[in-house]
Amino acid sequence: MEKKKIIEFKGIRKVFPGVVALKGFDLAIYEKEILGLVGENGAGKSTLMKIMTGNYQPDGGQFLLRGKPIVLGGSMEAIEHGIGMVFQEGSILPNLTVTENLFLCHEKEFSKGWFISESAMVAEARRALEENGLDINPTTLCGNLSPAQRQMVEITRLLWLSRLYRHENPVLILDEPTTVLLEKEIKTLFEILNRIKEYATVVLISHRLEEIIENSDRIVVLKDGDYVTEMLREKADIFKIEQLMVGRDMVEGYYRRNEQIDPTDSVVLEVKDLAIESILEPISFTLHKGEILALVGLIGSGKEELVKCLGGSMQATHGSIYRNGKKISIKQPKHAIAHAIGYIPIDRRVEGLATDLDIADNINMLVYKNLKVRGFIDKKKERDNATHWMGVVKVKATSHRMKCGNLSGGNQQKVVLGKWLSADAEILIVDHPTRGIDVGAKDEIYHHIRQLAKQGKSMIIMCDTLEEDIGLCNRMLILKDGKKVNEVSCPPDAKPAPTDIIESIV
Amino acid sequence: MQKDGIGKQPAIRRIKGKLAGLPAISYALGMLVLFIAIFAVGSATFLTRYNMLTIGNSAAILLAVAMGQVFAILTGGIDLSVGGIMSLVSVVLMKTLEPLGFWAYPLSLAVGIAAGFLNGLVNSRLRIPSFITTLGSNGIFMSIAYMISIKPLSAPSSSFGVLDIVNGTTLGIRNIMLLGVLVFVLFFVIQRYTITGRNIMLLGSNEKMSWLSGVDIFKVRTIAFTLSGLGAALAGVMLASNLYSGYPTLGTVYILNSIASVVIGGTAMTGGAGGVLNTLVGVMVMSVINNGMNIIGIDVYAQQSFLGVLVIIAVAISFDRSKLSVIK
Repeated sequence: MEKKKIIEFKGIRKVFPGVVALKGFDLAIYEKEILGLVGENGAGKSTLMKIMTGNYQPDGGQFLLRGKPIVLGGSMEAIEHGIGMVFQEGSILPNLTVTENLFLCHEKEFSKGWFISESAMVAEARRALEENGLDINPTTLCGNLSPAQRQMVEITRLLWLSRLYRHENPVLILDEPTTVLLEKEIKTLFEILNRIKEYATVVLISHRLEEIIENSDRIVVLKDGDYVTEMLREKADIFKIEQLMVGRDMVEGYYRRNEQIDPTDSVVLEVKDLAIESILEPISFTLHKGEILALVGLIGSGKEELVKCLGGSMQATHGSIYRNGKKISIKQPKHAIAHAIGYIPIDRRVEGLATDLDIADNINMLVYKNLKVRGFIDKKKERDNATHWMGVVKVKATSHRMKCGNLSGGNQQKVVLGKWLSADAEILIVDHPTRGIDVGAKDEIYHHIRQLAKQGKSMIIMCDTLEEDIGLCNRMLILKDGKKVNEVSCPPDAKPAPTDIIESIV
Repeated sequence: MQKDGIGKQPAIRRIKGKLAGLPAISYALGMLVLFIAIFAVGSATFLTRYNMLTIGNSAAILLAVAMGQVFAILTGGIDLSVGGIMSLVSVVLMKTLEPLGFWAYPLSLAVGIAAGFLNGLVNSRLRIPSFITTLGSNGIFMSIAYMISIKPLSAPSSSFGVLDIVNGTTLGIRNIMLLGVLVFVLFFVIQRYTITGRNIMLLGSNEKMSWLSGVDIFKVRTIAFTLSGLGAALAGVMLASNLYSGYPTLGTVYILNSIASVVIGGTAMTGGAGGVLNTLVGVMVMSVINNGMNIIGIDVYAQQSFLGVLVIIAVAISFDRSKLSVIK
């Protein structure tokens, strides 16, 4: 079936001081398709998106929209031409209602004389939402919506705008749309995108390759600002794509399975009948030296709250925790830290790092007391400690004085890891270790996790995907509705199949 | 979409874009040079030795209060009570000089420190925003000063010798300037070389993360406001000694001036970026502007308007907006 090209790039080129972001390649995007765009950070995905939305102007080559060369001056102009982008962080205002957000800056369409007809807006909002199969009340405040619903509102807005400007087949660009969504919401999102495909083009960017492969009609791989290849969904293979993205062979065995070791017998942490009123029923388990324990369960299973109790940011109502056989009390994060329990959070920009401060500040923050000479913090000791741990976890940066906010996700994660290692944490709670990190850096994080286990550190992990949990851990605890329902051993040579586990999760 | 693209970028941001990459402090330094040049051209007396000493004198006092203020701002808070603390301290000093002699100084400083400590306690323990806490306490401190004395208090002539701690000279240098240098070194060391100083930066940069990393955020917040109280107290005793008097409105202008100095220096109002060194430059800019307007003969009442405009322009140029997506 011959499809019409909606967007075509010919020899598209973009140069930034010091880097060629796009090396001048051809790429066509067709009507009524879902295109998955994959590549490591720095592969040129974002630059290409920004050209499509008019935020960047290409330095060379041609950008054709509906067959005609076009120059876009900014996001608003792009929208007027039927190209809209749903941002990673979202651009919905939480203090306004769904209706107000939908028609922001376009209230004029509903004016009667000097006044704006609120009821006409709400009616139109209801119609537009229903058209996309959404069950959202147009008068709710967006702040009260789930991240998924907010995203839907944004998509609805873009589709509505493109109709306002009379465009057939609008182009929707989604940048990492699933990062903030729950399993179920992700499913709904893709159902809706597949419906939208009937009359629009969707360009999808995501780090989660499984997702891209499952939902795109066509997958384009970019690397170092160049087009590598493209494949149809039917022929796509995750390992092949990963190799193309990284440009080198991944280590044999995924999740560094071959480096997995058996934990020792000594128990470093024991949880006895720990419970949280109306969230978690009494749970008991042990953690051994050198063990990687995965907590598996849906949102609401109680696993998030359980690790918060161990990290000190939440308090259990019943039960006790034993560290090396001695009963301990953890009322605040500092108590957990005193017992060498470190917490690597899921949202590292909010909970794990001071992004305005530099790498040294972030790595040293827990150990300033060891860096003092005659009562004052010593610059040289500070530098030595920071550079030492930067080396251990292999942070790629020009200097220890580089601002953490300017690092990539993978390097940020390594800084957080370095911070806890520098503080001699024996037990690490790692909440989604590879979230938002590209494939090459993921593998490095897996390698670090394996190395730490080898050095006798114990870890409690909660991963992005069930496959990752199974691949990384020695043993997994499955939680459901606040109860421990199963415990599964995961030795390297006999990993359970995800399908077997999923039954006990849901 | 809201990010950019709606309309053109404001001119100021385009200019900033060209200068991007320079640390925030360089804008303040540039401004300092610019204003010195303007006033030097505008008046023959501006660059004289005598005038430089006058600037140094007032800068030392503003420096002390701004050094304290910057710690409150680094946590992401603000201290609007520095004026009240300075006034209260000045009245306490003048009232107690006769009976206590030299010991009036430590007593006055202790009053200021206690005032700052109370601010910190209310802010951190009762979880009341520092803006409200210090707005309220500023009135309280001023009111206490009024209760001690409605009329301005003058230093008794018997105590002029004691006042030489501030007004005298050591090795040919005015003591007040030496005090200014000491105060700067003290606060600089606290910010850069102590765990408390580092924790204040951490807290201002990311409070949730600081707590998760075991920082005692109540303690750190309280210390930051106590330091602000100390700075205001030092400024209070320096100014009162300099004027040989104390009164309940003595510190009022220093609320705006201290905040303006901190912000012009490039410290972000959201906390976690900037600091003592930035504020030193901000203080010099403010002192030069204040003095220069007198020298080139701008009407005293018009000066406030000029100052207001200059502060806004200065902030527009030097304020570290990179951290903020929305300005409120």
